[in-house]
Amino acid sequence: MGGLDGLAGGFAIAFTAANLAWAFVGCLLGTAVGVLPGVGPAVTIALLLPLTTQLEATSALIMFCGVYYGAMYGGSTTSILLNSPGESASIATTLEGNAMARRGRAGAALATAAIGSFVAGTVSTVLVTLVAPPVAEWGLSFGPPEKFALMVLAFMTISAVLGHSALRGFASLFVGLFIGLIGTDVMSGQIRFALGLQELYDGIDVVVVAVGLFAVGETLHVASHERRVVETVERIRGSLWMSGRDFRRSVGPWLRGTAIGFPFGTMPAGGAEIPTFLSYATEKRLCKGPDRFGEGAIEGVAGPEAANNASVTAALIPLLTLGLPTSATAAIILTGFQQYGIQPGPLLFATQADLVWALIASLYLGNVMLLVLNRPMAGVWAKLLTIPRPMLYAGIVVFATIGAYGMRNSWFDLFLLLLFGLLGYAMKRSDIPVAPCLVGMILGPRADTELRRALQISQSDFSVFLTRPISAALLAFAVLLVAAPVLVRRHNARRGRA
Amino acid sequence: MTPGGRDKGAIAVSLALVALALFVFGQLPSIPADGGYSVLGPRFAPMLVGVGLLAVGLMLLRQALAGGWRAMPPPPDEPLHRPAFLWIAGGMALHMAIIGTVGFTLASTLLFVLVARGFGSRRPAHDAIVGAVLAASVFLFFTRILRLALPASPLGGL
Repeated sequence: MGGLDGLAGGFAIAFTAANLAWAFVGCLLGTAVGVLPGVGPAVTIALLLPLTTQLEATSALIMFCGVYYGAMYGGSTTSILLNSPGESASIATTLEGNAMARRGRAGAALATAAIGSFVAGTVSTVLVTLVAPPVAEWGLSFGPPEKFALMVLAFMTISAVLGHSALRGFASLFVGLFIGLIGTDVMSGQIRFALGLQELYDGIDVVVVAVGLFAVGETLHVASHERRVVETVERIRGSLWMSGRDFRRSVGPWLRGTAIGFPFGTMPAGGAEIPTFLSYATEKRLCKGPDRFGEGAIEGVAGPEAANNASVTAALIPLLTLGLPTSATAAIILTGFQQYGIQPGPLLFATQADLVWALIASLYLGNVMLLVLNRPMAGVWAKLLTIPRPMLYAGIVVFATIGAYGMRNSWFDLFLLLLFGLLGYAMKRSDIPVAPCLVGMILGPRADTELRRALQISQSDFSVFLTRPISAALLAFAVLLVAAPVLVRRHNARRGRA
Repeated sequence: MTPGGRDKGAIAVSLALVALALFVFGQLPSIPADGGYSVLGPRFAPMLVGVGLLAVGLMLLRQALAGGWRAMPPPPDEPLHRPAFLWIAGGMALHMAIIGTVGFTLASTLLFVLVARGFGSRRPAHDAIVGAVLAASVFLFFTRILRLALPASPLGGL
């Protein structure tokens, strides 16, 4: 089925009253959650997973995508009005956005962020529509060796590219792979690492791990190390709109941000952090406007926000077509699919075409909804920022326990939640990134299965990974990613000494 | 935190990784190596993960002993506020212990109050009311609208 035919069918499904309502709920919830500091989109979707078991798959996934998108729009409100950014992808926006708000230009900053997100989101969704079907077709030729190589590449990029240290990224990855091994092995039915505890026979639930690492870990960290941080919320003063000049200054950054963000989203590099900073640096270099960078230049908000949304949208291409999550949030959405027994991957476009296209159609709608919602509700979102911290985090912890306990009413899951909360805290303190752990846990068991299938087909000949061109190329690229920075550093060190 | 204190943390985390690797190796014999139809058994992946954990743990340990992990961001200006940590972690442990007997709403309200206390709130009565309203509405939403089970209080109802 061609992209445009599929899309037309998708719109027909997305436009039903129920699905429009779920998209709307998702956008609203996502924005609210994105605004709140301390809860990101990954935690929100993880908490929603057990609640949506009675919902039809298409509706639930449409809602998840609304949350995914909405959280990005909401995050920009926080970075502009609050002096501390909610998540790493919005640090770049905070630099100029908060400076603009302090100078009474919060309205213009919020507007350029929202319109920029809309432009980037819509352009990227068009690209997803055009690019996804051929990629899925290409993916159909993948056998177990290619699938395994692809997952190895994902492990390498998410561990080595992001963060300050590849070694600490790998520490997180291997812990995640270990967590993924716990429970019953799909291929052989053998139970691994369960220590005789029946609660562990089915493995550890992704919800408990994600919510523990992110929400509980973050709560422990903020409570015990950020007590003296004073958060000042800027009020929205002056015009809520951009002037014609603001608009002209924003158009370039929006488009450049989209161009920078989109390719990064398709790569498993852990999210939108790198492209937002790249866009910020680009705009800083190009900026000739009257406001200098650091004092509230609108280009520094428009560019990174567009880059953020473009990369978030582009991340859906590897997720839907190859089943490959490129960030923690995408990994949770993958779990959402699996909850319904649907495996994202090349076959998805053939077997679940209606669902995929309804999802993509809902992205177009979600962008429009979020743009429309943003203006009239700006005041409400700003109010959310004034919730006192004790109430906010107490609420977050209570919801985290509901998410963990609600699944099977077992105190053991609460114990695991606390355990992963402590682990998340320790990782945060040690500057060990959390995303590789989550992706390792979710993809690990599948990599295990594909590896064994590949060797079953090749009759335990390991060279199968190197004689098949796609698999060899993917593995070579993975090795290069890890080895290149080390070699460059050695080379520079030697030159430095000479 | 002093630089020395931070190194102690790095050494502890590196050792924990090595310990996890040893645990993985210790468990390997209890996993059958035979994979039936497939060539590799269910023991192969755990072995790889164990080797990975050991290698990463030892490399991090070497860095930690040689003056600290490399490329660390500057430490936060605030040292650990131990009471805050204990209010929250302890609150979660207590909640886990009592939820089965006192029911969802009461346990969650107590958890809410304890976490708020950890964040420096000095108004337990106010927190209890906010927490109770939140917990009760969630309870009703779950049991009435989503029809998911949550433990009721011993007296029934909320």
